[in-house]
Amino acid sequence: MIDPVAISNILAAAVAGALVIMFGAIYALLFAFSRLKQRPVLMIWAYLAYAVLVVAVGVLSITLNMRGFWQAVAVVMVVGYFVAPRLIWNLCAGTHSTEPGDGLGTVRHS
Amino acid sequence: MSIAALNSANLNAGQKVAVKYFTVAMVLFFAQCLFGMLAGLQYLQPDFLYNVLDFNVNRMVHINAMVVWMLFGFIGSVYWLVEDESGTELVGAKLANVNFWILTLAVTVVVLVYLFVQTGPGTKETIWFINEGREYIEAPRWADFGIVACVLIFFYNVAATFMKGKWSGISGVLVLDLVALAGLYLAGMFYTTNISMDQHWWWWVIHLWVEATWEVLVGCIMAWGLMKTLGARRKIVTTWLYIEVALMFGSGILGLGHHYFWIGTPEYWFTIGGFFSALEPIPLVAMVVHAVYDSGTHNFRNSNHPALAWLIAHAFGNFFGAGVWGFMHTLPQINLYTHGTQWTASHGHLAFFGAYATIIIAMIYIAVQKWRGDVWMSGDLADKGWKWKWSLGLLNVGVVGMTVALLISGYEQSFVERALEGSTWGGYFSAQTQPWFIQGMHWRMLFGWVTTAGVVLLLWDLATIGKKETRRAIDPTVTPATT
Repeated sequence: MIDPVAISNILAAAVAGALVIMFGAIYALLFAFSRLKQRPVLMIWAYLAYAVLVVAVGVLSITLNMRGFWQAVAVVMVVGYFVAPRLIWNLCAGTHSTEPGDGLGTVRHS
Repeated sequence: MSIAALNSANLNAGQKVAVKYFTVAMVLFFAQCLFGMLAGLQYLQPDFLYNVLDFNVNRMVHINAMVVWMLFGFIGSVYWLVEDESGTELVGAKLANVNFWILTLAVTVVVLVYLFVQTGPGTKETIWFINEGREYIEAPRWADFGIVACVLIFFYNVAATFMKGKWSGISGVLVLDLVALAGLYLAGMFYTTNISMDQHWWWWVIHLWVEATWEVLVGCIMAWGLMKTLGARRKIVTTWLYIEVALMFGSGILGLGHHYFWIGTPEYWFTIGGFFSALEPIPLVAMVVHAVYDSGTHNFRNSNHPALAWLIAHAFGNFFGAGVWGFMHTLPQINLYTHGTQWTASHGHLAFFGAYATIIIAMIYIAVQKWRGDVWMSGDLADKGWKWKWSLGLLNVGVVGMTVALLISGYEQSFVERALEGSTWGGYFSAQTQPWFIQGMHWRMLFGWVTTAGVVLLLWDLATIGKKETRRAIDPTVTPATT
């Protein structure tokens, strides 16, 4: 059974839920730009964005009264959003590895 | 190939069918806005058109017009690319044309019945001939059978064309997805007096269409669209299509559970729905990384600026509408208060527009370009492209404005009606009279006008863009000479 959000926490829970996705994307964006432009300073901002995500997951867990199984969902979110951009980046690099030159005006598909 | 004038000689057989579907889709898009505006006005003036065109009818036409125009848009998009992708002629062009007219006629009859025969008690006969009573898919059962038959004919045409020509990763995913698309509709045709059971199967159609099969269909269209507008390589888009399908189906199918929280289904759906709903945004985050990677390697040299702009709007709209607005209220602890309120309507408006309307509009711009003989549609258009830019801006600002306004009303409704007053009848009316709710509805109306203005401008632009152009489209796969 679930323990519904307290009335006083509805807004905090909704904002925290939105921030999880928003900062998941900002972390992914900064992570990708840092690697693409080879600018380590962006990676620091990426990790700061990830830190906000972790805080947002924490607020979500508290306001939504996450216990037992629901704590596992929170852990999956924290780990999943950290790992996903790295995996996707590696997939990108792998799928583009045969692209000639810098990729501008790439080869036409068959 | 003639240039600038709309000339069907520029199109192959599949594309000739496609432009018919696109035309009806745009008419229905306008109808969706029109009836949405009427329903929105009735929130502000409940007596407006009372007993003439009631709110329940306007809302039903608004929602059904959206579902049907998107279906028409998807069918048109697939017909548009089928010959190009298979490398052969459409096997049943005549059948496709007959199918189009039957489907369009059936939709017209259903809409006329919606508008003129929505009175009297619901009986088994009304389920067959008037209204099936299931939100989003209210079409009576005779029309259900017609829709399934038309989709099967469409499926036959597409699958047989690929079988005659050549298969590709995109076509394989597309054909398998069409099987699921047609098959799932059958789940919405059961009749049962048990409301929980009815809702259980109804969600198979709604959720598994919208958050699984439609997403994959859009993935196929996007993959093809990126090859055409950006010159992306087939191997790359196909690989990404497979990954996207795996992520979408992996999280989306059991994400169905978030619709089973409050309809009388067992409690284990809380666990399943909560877990998979948390995973559903991951494909969207994956797209962010991929988009950055691709922008770095392709530099956005493209042959069709309006189409690419709408594809970018799709990426953002899908992320915010489905991802952010979805996860905000999807876990059961908060969904207890938010489901079925204006909060849900807020999510629905941004998600449907962002994920689906945008990409269909992009495909229609690609179609218009070819219809006018591969006319120039990059930068420096004759009229500076003000119509497509303004329609893009008005539509996006309008829909985002409606989304925020509905969120404010929805928050107030969740708080007062659900959390404070425990979902009582009195709580419902109490929430409807709160200042924040009413102000949200006024703002929604204002942004509804902005959206409608955007639709009108879009239709005008689609009818005229490239008309005075004399240049041919650029080939995005050719690298320009550098100085």
